[in-house]
Amino acid sequence: MEKAQKSTKAARGTVTCDNTTMHLLKANDFVAESIRRKMAEQGILLLNITSSAGSGKTTLLQETAKRIGHKVNMKILVGDLETERDADRLRAVGVDALQIVTGGICHLEAQMVWQAMDNLDLNGVELLIVENVGNLVCPASFDLGEDYRVTLIATTEGDDKPKKYPRMFLTSELMLVSKTDLLPYLPFSVDAVVADARDINPNIGVLQVSSTQDIGIDEWCNWLLEKVKEKQSSTTHKKNESHVFSDPR
Amino acid sequence: MHEISLVRNIFNTLESEFSKAELGNLSAIDLRVGKLSNVEPILMQNAFEAVTTAEDKYQQVRLNIEVVPIEIYCSACDARSTIEDYKFACAACGQPNNNVVKGTELLIHRVHFG
Repeated sequence: MEKAQKSTKAARGTVTCDNTTMHLLKANDFVAESIRRKMAEQGILLLNITSSAGSGKTTLLQETAKRIGHKVNMKILVGDLETERDADRLRAVGVDALQIVTGGICHLEAQMVWQAMDNLDLNGVELLIVENVGNLVCPASFDLGEDYRVTLIATTEGDDKPKKYPRMFLTSELMLVSKTDLLPYLPFSVDAVVADARDINPNIGVLQVSSTQDIGIDEWCNWLLEKVKEKQSSTTHKKNESHVFSDPR
Repeated sequence: MHEISLVRNIFNTLESEFSKAELGNLSAIDLRVGKLSNVEPILMQNAFEAVTTAEDKYQQVRLNIEVVPIEIYCSACDARSTIEDYKFACAACGQPNNNVVKGTELLIHRVHFG
């Protein structure tokens, strides 16, 4: 902005602002970048899992932990307005989970994740999953420093969700159509939801899953393991690079 | 979404950029709100009124909200297209494209004093 020096020169008339200094989510984005740097240094893959309330995020993560908990060192941060219930469910299947109670706030902000990380031993962790508050609106605007955003849409919801909540699908790497075992009983078209999502985000990946009937869980877990490996190799790569650059010769 | 906290962000942002004396003279704030920012102008206005009334400050200040349409840029055509129905494709070549260059902003664009 036109340097509005506090106190020395009084701002008068109309002041046109610089787009970055007066961005209203600037504080969030700053913390998100700090998280991204920390995760890059430690080679931890950070995922932000979003969806409407009740589309099966926690159940999917329970199945995920059962399936690959022994193969990959994973931890979960789970956001809700109230209660420890989701973290309890995740701990019950043996995964180290920490609840973030937002106390009425409809989304997680980077600052909440940053603070929660202080209470989590990240030593040796390869995969950190943030299960966001069930809501397709607000969480879309808050960067948490994640590598990827993964959005669930259950067959029990309308297949018109992507067009109704475009920003979430625009920023997601992967869309998981969940509860597909119920498809025979519901007027939900997977083709329609995929077409709508790709109108918004042509590159979005799609997997169909049912956590209770074990459909697509292997594909989802393979996707996860693949991304964990990519993250680790990019970190090792960078470490080698910086070693070369810091070599005094 | 969370308009009340955004209104507080507006004041926090201004208070970190301008002095108390300057802000005493504040008359209007121009916001730019992208169509993808998930902010509803009418709710923002209501929240603004609620906060200024409840906290008994900035009551003389007018809030102007400019909604910014979604624009994408296609590098193959070197063309920008406005997205109207959430169908993200280049208007020139028709190829799917989600290289959004406008429409996500949520910022204070101008402030008026006096």
